[in-house]
Amino acid sequence: MKDWQIVLQLIRFRPGLFGITILFATLGQLAQQAPALVTREFFNVLTDSAPVRFDLWALVALLAASGLAEIVVRFGVSWTRATFQFTVMALMRLNVFRHVLNQPGARPMPTSPGESISRFGGDLDEIGMFFRLLEMLVGHWIASLVAVYIMVSINPLIAVVAFTPLLLVALIANLTHQRVQHYRRVRRRAAARVVGFVAETFGAAQSVKVAGREEPVIREFQRLNEVRRVAALKDRVFEEVQRSTYYNAVNIGTGIVLILSASAMRDGSFTLGDFALFVFYLERMTQFMRMFGFSLSRYKQIGISIDRVEWLLGGAPRQIMVEHNPVWLDGNLPGIPKVSIGDDDRLHTLEIEGLSYQHPGSQNGIDNINLRLERGTFTVVTGRIGAGKTTLLRTLQGLLPPDRGEIRWNGAPVEHLAEFFVPPHTAYTPQVPRLFSDPLRDNILMGIPEKDADVPEAIRSAVMERDLKELDEGLDTLVGPRGVRLSGGQMQRTAASRMFVREPELLIFDDLSSALDVETEQRLWNRVFARDGATCLAVSHRKAALRRADQIIVMKDGRIHAQGRLDDLLQHCSEMQRLWEGHFSEEARNGNGATLQPAATP
Amino acid sequence: MIVPRLEQYRHVLREYMFPWRNRVLLLALMLFTSIGLQLVNPQILRLFIDTAIDSGNNLTTGGTLWPVPDNTMHELLMVALLFIAVAILQQLVAVGAVYFGEDVGWKATNKLRSDLADHCLRLDMSFHHQRTPGEMIERVDSDVTQIANFFSQFVVIILANILLLAGVVAMIFRENTITGVIMAVYALFTLWALNAVRSLAIPAWGSAREASASFYGFLEEQLSGTEDTRASGAVPWTLRNFARLMYFRLRSEQKASVMNAAIFGVVAFCAILGLGISLVAGYLLYQQGLITLGTIFLFVTYTHILVRPMRELTMQVQELQKAGAGIGRVIELLNIKTKIEDGRGVPVPPGPLDVEFADVTFAYNDREVVLQDVDFHLEPGKVLGLLGRTGSGKTTISRLLFRLYDPVEGSVRLGGTDLREASLQQLRQRVGIVTQDVQLFRASVRDNLTFFDDSIPDERIHEAIHDLGLGPWLAQLPEGLDTRIESGGRGLSAGEAQLLAFTRVFLKDPGLVILDEASSRLDPLTEHRIERAIDKLLHRRSGIIVAHRLATVQRSDEIMVIDKGCIIEHDSRARLAADPDSRFSHLLRTGLEEALA
Repeated sequence: MKDWQIVLQLIRFRPGLFGITILFATLGQLAQQAPALVTREFFNVLTDSAPVRFDLWALVALLAASGLAEIVVRFGVSWTRATFQFTVMALMRLNVFRHVLNQPGARPMPTSPGESISRFGGDLDEIGMFFRLLEMLVGHWIASLVAVYIMVSINPLIAVVAFTPLLLVALIANLTHQRVQHYRRVRRRAAARVVGFVAETFGAAQSVKVAGREEPVIREFQRLNEVRRVAALKDRVFEEVQRSTYYNAVNIGTGIVLILSASAMRDGSFTLGDFALFVFYLERMTQFMRMFGFSLSRYKQIGISIDRVEWLLGGAPRQIMVEHNPVWLDGNLPGIPKVSIGDDDRLHTLEIEGLSYQHPGSQNGIDNINLRLERGTFTVVTGRIGAGKTTLLRTLQGLLPPDRGEIRWNGAPVEHLAEFFVPPHTAYTPQVPRLFSDPLRDNILMGIPEKDADVPEAIRSAVMERDLKELDEGLDTLVGPRGVRLSGGQMQRTAASRMFVREPELLIFDDLSSALDVETEQRLWNRVFARDGATCLAVSHRKAALRRADQIIVMKDGRIHAQGRLDDLLQHCSEMQRLWEGHFSEEARNGNGATLQPAATP
Repeated sequence: MIVPRLEQYRHVLREYMFPWRNRVLLLALMLFTSIGLQLVNPQILRLFIDTAIDSGNNLTTGGTLWPVPDNTMHELLMVALLFIAVAILQQLVAVGAVYFGEDVGWKATNKLRSDLADHCLRLDMSFHHQRTPGEMIERVDSDVTQIANFFSQFVVIILANILLLAGVVAMIFRENTITGVIMAVYALFTLWALNAVRSLAIPAWGSAREASASFYGFLEEQLSGTEDTRASGAVPWTLRNFARLMYFRLRSEQKASVMNAAIFGVVAFCAILGLGISLVAGYLLYQQGLITLGTIFLFVTYTHILVRPMRELTMQVQELQKAGAGIGRVIELLNIKTKIEDGRGVPVPPGPLDVEFADVTFAYNDREVVLQDVDFHLEPGKVLGLLGRTGSGKTTISRLLFRLYDPVEGSVRLGGTDLREASLQQLRQRVGIVTQDVQLFRASVRDNLTFFDDSIPDERIHEAIHDLGLGPWLAQLPEGLDTRIESGGRGLSAGEAQLLAFTRVFLKDPGLVILDEASSRLDPLTEHRIERAIDKLLHRRSGIIVAHRLATVQRSDEIMVIDKGCIIEHDSRARLAADPDSRFSHLLRTGLEEALA
């Protein structure tokens, strides 16, 4: 899809609104040309060089009328323009955002969040601005045609000669667009880096503070800003040189009119009124030519912006950006479809066969994983760091796109993993769950109507009821950006409540141990398995989990190294022994060591 | 919404423009030249008209700037060429003015950006906990960019146009005093009207910016949490929130657009009014034979020239409004004072530090007491294991040691120095921390280790890495210290991220090291590899190990167990372990039960 097709597709989204905007804009341009006609009549009256059609006061009245018309039109165009631009940009933002959300969620965004935001913001605004240029361009075209018609009917020769610089300018604009594009790209890149750095710095504010490194970080910020200054300066000055070229072209045009009209004016075939009109219309033409060249270069710039926004799609076809979808800007927000599970869909068995995924550009990943889960069982995945435990959980759920393999739910192959492995089939707590700047309640429910959910029960299952009492405003507590007002353990248990409230068939936990102490984790497992028929797949090193497991999957280098119950594995699997002992050797030493004997006796 | 007063504009101008006064002077010179040339060209046109009509009508006229030449056609040609030359020169000067204006604008605002980022970074954590990085982008960068427009365009366009306005009025004065007076009144009226609309529009712009800031704040958070959103099946909900924010933004944009229209309406009205005045005045004066046709044309041209400055002034009034909103928000931000004021600089002594909490009570807000009369002392060089369940106050203790917060009651001392009296910079150099959540920049490994401090030589970094026994880890990085870390540490395992954090601490050679659940996310084997690094880090240093797990406090000399912000027990590890009634030995038994089952 070409850039212009994208523009066209956006116009087609709200053609009426766009049409009205163009209409208003054109009327506005025409209204602005009326005073020149009045001025011409005025000079003709003064010099008696044409039949007198109006007296002075009639001319004044005409002038007032054109002014009034312009004001009315301005209000109209301002409103419709803002609405149209915002609406089509909202469409693009929604489309891109929806696409990003529907991507395999664990795959990294192609850029940092800060840079993505600059693409969602500045670049999309740039595309929106283009419509304004387009609308001015159309208005200027029509108004200019009218002006040209009037000028040619007065004196064709002078008119034609005066227009020659226009061609020159169009040529220059075309020759220089490459550089325009280049400077703009450099500038945008420099700007995105500054924005990204601000996001990173303030995301890491605490680290920077405790390291006492505010100064060098600020120096780096200054350096990035300096890079941007230079880029912006080049971009802006080049733009100004272009602008100036247009003005010069027209000034030369006016000079030519002066030269050509000198004799005509002396013999009276070209009146002072005609001259005034030519001079004013030529200046209008300046604006037109400038807009024309400007739009041309701007069109190249929106090409850059469209490319940058497209980058967010991660390789998906760019049509997605401009697909016509509801934008809900009338305030009737979209409903949230209710999900429920049919009896056929209830989990009996989950089979994984030959599942493989390799992280792009690395050897890491998982290879040929085969696994079978039964309803009501507890499967624990363990292994050293980098063994592929998290990758397994993510690939299974389509949060990473599998390279190979089949997954069968009750014997039936699952086609679209990412669409299927969501509540009410499964729910997932990642190692580092993300919370959002909403009340705790919303972070748990995330759109499920409260009446349909048992929040207190979910909180109890997640061993969070005590924390809840200690929180200032209970479920209404605002958790702060990314949940920073909660402790790490509270965040993890909030995410667990989020799972429970969805009553999924299969619970999937990535390592909980990093934020939960032994007792809390033990209590959590007790409560999970007190739930009716709970099926659970978890990454864990913790004994409480390993001992409870119906099967343990020991992973090593992306493959299943061993599989079975704890006792068997401890007897036969050296990796399991190492993991078990390595992890608990200190506790064992403490327990059996000389200093601790009284406590150590079982 | 704060509507900034002129005083505040002036303050910002003085503070950030003054260093660039020479360039500003040069800029002013170019502007004067450009304005002068703009005023000359209509005079050339008048000369042309009067010459052409005169020679046609063979009438004599007075009042032109130049004597009427004899060889008319030749002269007319020369006049036309002069017109072109003046116009081109004027454009050249204008380009130069843009260069200098833009340059000064960026330099001045970059200083402001850096001051602002510095100020914010030094604010206490309660500030940072209330703001998303997305919001900070708006505050530190976007708001200042609005002000940049103020800097670069205020001088180039507003000042220049006001001067042009004054020049035009002066030129009309030269021709006819009464018309000059009328034009002066007209210009003043126009400026007044514009200013009046301006103050109406600022609040609308302010709320549009606020809607935009909250939209981007939301977006930033969402973009980094897509995994959770997807896995919770919450995509429709998130889209709904997105749509709601868009809806609010549209409403505010529409209100702002009406304000724009009002401003343009005033300009259009004034333009027509000006033309009407010059036509009527010209007509009446011409009828009385006081002026030539060329002079009427001069009036019309000058009034027409007036329209452009007014138009541009208005556009700049919009920029000014945005800048005004921006300046208001910047000033608001600069006025936020940190609750943690830098101490007077009593030095924290070198070497291992002793740690003393004297009856410390602390609360993040008024209601919730997090620490209650915490009182303990740790000898220099000793290692304290801090135990307690999640939310018991362990992390708060480490935050107090960095003076991220001040105790509500009591005091914290390091090496005998009350933290409130030490310089923050020095204090934080003397204390190091490794937390489970390592925050990284999208930059090289080196910059992530030094926080962009290029005064730290590579040798020292290598030394630190090797001392920590992490040489093999460094060796396997594809480009060594230049290896780039992607945003949020992607492509780096949790273990590697923590290795970076260890090195960060080691680089500053602290007297107290805090390990906050440092090894909790490491698998046993990686953890073992880091053991040595920890030994190295704690060697001849005081240490506090905050942990949930018994395994990680094995190397501590003392154990302190806290619960709900109170010390339950604190003694040597050996003694506590030997006391069957101690909480610690109870915890050990919980662990042992696991080990023996």
